[in-house]
Amino acid sequence: MNSEKYLRNSVQKGFIFSIVMIFMMMIGFHVVAANLTSKLFGVQVLRGSIPEVVFMAYVHLFFAFIFGWGASDKNRPSKQRVAQGLVTSVTTAAIISLFSLLLVFLVEAQLDIREYLTAFSADYMRYFVLNLGRPGIITLFGIYTVTGLVGTVTALFVQSDRVQQAWNRAKTSVTLFWENANSKMPAWAQKYGKYVIYGGSIIVLLILPVRWGSYLNFVTSVVGLYIIAGIGLNIMVGLSGQLMLGYAAFIAMGAYSMALLNAPTPHGIMLGFWPSLLVGVVMAMIAALILGLPIMRLRGDYLAIVTLGFGEIIRILLRSDLLVDFTGGPRGIHAIQGPTLFGRPFNSSSDFVYLIFFFIALSILIYQRLANSRTGRAWLAINEDSIAAQATGVNLRGYKLLALIIGAAFAGLVGGIAASRNAFTGPNDHSLMVSINVLSLLIVGGMNSIPGIFLGAFALRGLPEILREVETYRQLAFGVLLIVMMLVRPKGLWPSSRPIMENIDKAKVKKAKEKVKKTKRKSKDG
Amino acid sequence: MKVLKKNDRRLKRSSVGKMIRNLFGVLAVLFIIWRLYLVFIVQNNYGPETWTRLLIAGLVIGSVYALIAIGYTLVYGILFMINFAHGEVMMLGSFAGFFVFEATNAINITAADGSVTSLTNAQPVLSIILAFLVGMTFSAMVGFFLEKIAYRPLRKAPRLIPLISAIGASFALQNAALLLFSPQTRNYTNPEFLARGAGWRIMINETAVILPYTGVLTMVLSILLMVGLLLMVKRTRLGKSMRAVAMDKDTAALMGIDVNQTISNTFIISGALAGAAGVMWGLHNGILHYFVGFLPGIKAFTAAVLGGIGNVPGAMLGGMVLGLLEAIGPAALDISFQLKDVIAFVIMIVILVFKPSGILGEVLSEEKV
Amino acid sequence: MADLIIETKRISKFFGGLTAVNEVDLQIPKGSIYSIIGPNGAGKTTLFNCISGFYVPEIGDILFLGQPIQSRSTDYIASQGISRTYQNIRLFSNLTAMENILVGQHTNLQTTWLDAIVHTPRYVRESQYSHDEAVRLLTYVGLKGLGDYLACNLPYGMQRRLEIGRALANAPKLLLLDEPTAGMNPQETVDMIKLIRMVRDELGISIILIEHDMKVVMDISDRISVLDYGTKIAEGSPKEIQANERVIEAYLGPGGAALADKYQKRRRKHA
Repeated sequence: MNSEKYLRNSVQKGFIFSIVMIFMMMIGFHVVAANLTSKLFGVQVLRGSIPEVVFMAYVHLFFAFIFGWGASDKNRPSKQRVAQGLVTSVTTAAIISLFSLLLVFLVEAQLDIREYLTAFSADYMRYFVLNLGRPGIITLFGIYTVTGLVGTVTALFVQSDRVQQAWNRAKTSVTLFWENANSKMPAWAQKYGKYVIYGGSIIVLLILPVRWGSYLNFVTSVVGLYIIAGIGLNIMVGLSGQLMLGYAAFIAMGAYSMALLNAPTPHGIMLGFWPSLLVGVVMAMIAALILGLPIMRLRGDYLAIVTLGFGEIIRILLRSDLLVDFTGGPRGIHAIQGPTLFGRPFNSSSDFVYLIFFFIALSILIYQRLANSRTGRAWLAINEDSIAAQATGVNLRGYKLLALIIGAAFAGLVGGIAASRNAFTGPNDHSLMVSINVLSLLIVGGMNSIPGIFLGAFALRGLPEILREVETYRQLAFGVLLIVMMLVRPKGLWPSSRPIMENIDKAKVKKAKEKVKKTKRKSKDG
Repeated sequence: MKVLKKNDRRLKRSSVGKMIRNLFGVLAVLFIIWRLYLVFIVQNNYGPETWTRLLIAGLVIGSVYALIAIGYTLVYGILFMINFAHGEVMMLGSFAGFFVFEATNAINITAADGSVTSLTNAQPVLSIILAFLVGMTFSAMVGFFLEKIAYRPLRKAPRLIPLISAIGASFALQNAALLLFSPQTRNYTNPEFLARGAGWRIMINETAVILPYTGVLTMVLSILLMVGLLLMVKRTRLGKSMRAVAMDKDTAALMGIDVNQTISNTFIISGALAGAAGVMWGLHNGILHYFVGFLPGIKAFTAAVLGGIGNVPGAMLGGMVLGLLEAIGPAALDISFQLKDVIAFVIMIVILVFKPSGILGEVLSEEKV
Repeated sequence: MADLIIETKRISKFFGGLTAVNEVDLQIPKGSIYSIIGPNGAGKTTLFNCISGFYVPEIGDILFLGQPIQSRSTDYIASQGISRTYQNIRLFSNLTAMENILVGQHTNLQTTWLDAIVHTPRYVRESQYSHDEAVRLLTYVGLKGLGDYLACNLPYGMQRRLEIGRALANAPKLLLLDEPTAGMNPQETVDMIKLIRMVRDELGISIILIEHDMKVVMDISDRISVLDYGTKIAEGSPKEIQANERVIEAYLGPGGAALADKYQKRRRKHA
């Protein structure tokens, strides 16, 4: 029967929620969450110590509320939704209470299982049940049932038609107001307003690095380097559609060129920053050529796995004894010099931020120009349908190879700057993790979309640096995010849009739109 | 019909890429011949006992690879996707086995003569069977849920999307294990009679070569599992439905085969095999940490490609060949043992570039490659 | 012969044991509309794939303007001036209509990626030219004002037109149309016939056509070839083909000619 089915779904949901909850507890996430909550309330917690119990309660309340919110099915009548919420909440509460019963037992028996499950310190287990011991189990059950129900009811209220209508009305009135304000502005303001905003943000960007401390400068340059890398990888993956998992190898080319040519050890060539950077870029391009030539006929997952193998080979070679005299082996290369510009050495942290800003701007310029050119369109065509692209005269191998080479040039640039900035490079800076990071920022942000790349780089690299507490969970979050994005938004948070090119006036567009509608209707009728 | 073949297909592809590929191939062959000449004719450092030792190591590790590779091949045969997270499934199975041994070690049994031994040593066969069962079950569960959560909703999507999801799953599982079990390296506590390093001594040139018990167990067990799998695929209803789904999902569905169930079963089977491989890995190598699944995973994929992906006997053969090459290669070519992993990767690239259909594989149509 | 646009000399294509195209000879004069018809699986699309370079015929030559092209790559053949459309539309569906046409211009443009990065005068000139040309082509195939639509959002008939527009974009000498009116309603079909005629008459492009709609075929073709099981069984003007017994048999099976004759007679009686 139908009613049985929806309630069974709710029980399933309850199971999933509670398993997620228990998993988060097992990796010690709850303490971190409580820590963050306490920060939110302005209470600083000493590193390594556990915040007050109230905050743990908040965390439980928060999750219970969220679970309750997500428990019910939007398309069902409200009575069924409440029932669903109740079932899910009770299931979740029951399983979590059972789990906390286990915790209490562990605490009371003074069993130490930290050797196997690192997060399970006695303090943490006690903290999870709100330091209440056995009564805590009942309390948790109550919290999850009641708050879950509250969450369901809130969701019901917020998603009800009346609230939605009011919300929509508010939204339209705001946009109307905005359009009014826009149209009332004088013509010159409309025309140049954009440039004023651009100019203003550029000035802000120029001032900020001096004002910020060196820590924020560090974060900015990491994010900036990832943006450049993202743009480069986007040329391979987003434009020409070749999934590359060995991007770090090209970064390593740039970094090691910089290091070998510009560091006192092991060779002492001390060529200077700019020529080394150029050599790095060229080396990365050559590496892409050498890798690309034999593998051009592979595609999709085979290409991905071959490039992964290539990346790993480079990393293993770099850390092996074979090249220890040449590349410094696993210890890497230290004391790489910074650049000088017009005789002035770069020595403050803000200097590098400016340098990176400059290269971001340059990369965006190059990327935009390429993407909207004959070359870029050929790449996109290959990505969409390689056979049809070939039949329109696009040389598949040539263009795929070109995408690899140009993408690798960006990687060489990133590697060179990063090595010089950190004054160090070693094989572990170029592991598979780096490639995956760059790929996930593209996927999370949105391929072929510069704002998407910015968003992705900030979300994946910037946020975890600023919120140090969640740093431990970053890699896990990457993995989960990749899956979730593929399931929910395969085009990314800020999907790309195609450029408007025909440039016709609005009346004609309207007419054309009507024509499309008409023919669509016709073909539906027919 | 005329047998005249006038237009050689090679005419069309006589491109620079092909020439360079062939150049690479010739250079590689020359390099290998040169190193072999150095090792066997000029230096001749190693006697037969060394080669026997390496051969044994290669066969053992090869049978582990073969078990994992079957998982790749089964899944690829049905879904045409690389189950990137398969190595992690093996790692989790290995952890499950580890916990079983830890548990049996913690239980002490007082024998009739008053001596106290742990359950592992009092009932070694039982504890080993238990470890394999738990490891296989756990891995099968992981495989089942992996498919259900990360792959099934994406079955109709373009091919890169499930691959990215699989990469995500691989990282998620790896880091989940890191956060749960800590980055610390752990050691399997084997039952005493299966202690690592213990084994039969074979005298060659008056030098003892050890044939380790764990290695023999690994080989025998994996051969048994593989034979079982082959019989299952050939004989049973489940195997038939798997082959049917691999051929054509839509037609199989029309014939009344539950495609979703069959795919789930495939993941369960490949997960179970990976779990068994994980426990063997633990018993034989002893070392266990969160990253332990990554390299065997990639190498097993290489093995699957080497044998011809989608082909079960091919995966077994590929695993054995890869294990042997990897064990003997560094010594035979006189390169550092650190570069052992490079050999596997190079083989992978070479196979994918020159003969993507592998040793036993059929020629894949364009859309499958 | 100088006035042939394309000539196939006894080309054959095998798939394993199957002979998809069997020693087919075609001589197609410049400026003609030439149809290839035949029952399903007769090897028509395979023939197209051989001409456009997706397949290499095992035996035989294909001469385009007197030059052999049978073992050249697809993109080279396209650059020589052969464009095509597909039976099931293969547009770049996530690009706009305008971009589809711009991709189609690929072989006509010369600028490289370096030009694009530096924005050389040559590049600026060329991109202006290609943009104007693309807008002109959109208008030509009747998609004016729809250039900024994603190709996948266009209605079916317009997608067909856009595909022809993309094929025309590199100023081809020969256009291969694979079932251009498949799945269209009568009005759209009439428009499509007009468009095909216009392309031949105004642009002087020779056209080879695969088509199942006999009305269309008989209406616009100058000459027709009939394929059956990969073999050419007849060639001639529409009238000749309509009267050819082997053709009727290929479509209706053995004894079909007599059947068709009876049917015709009955129809005449009714009229």
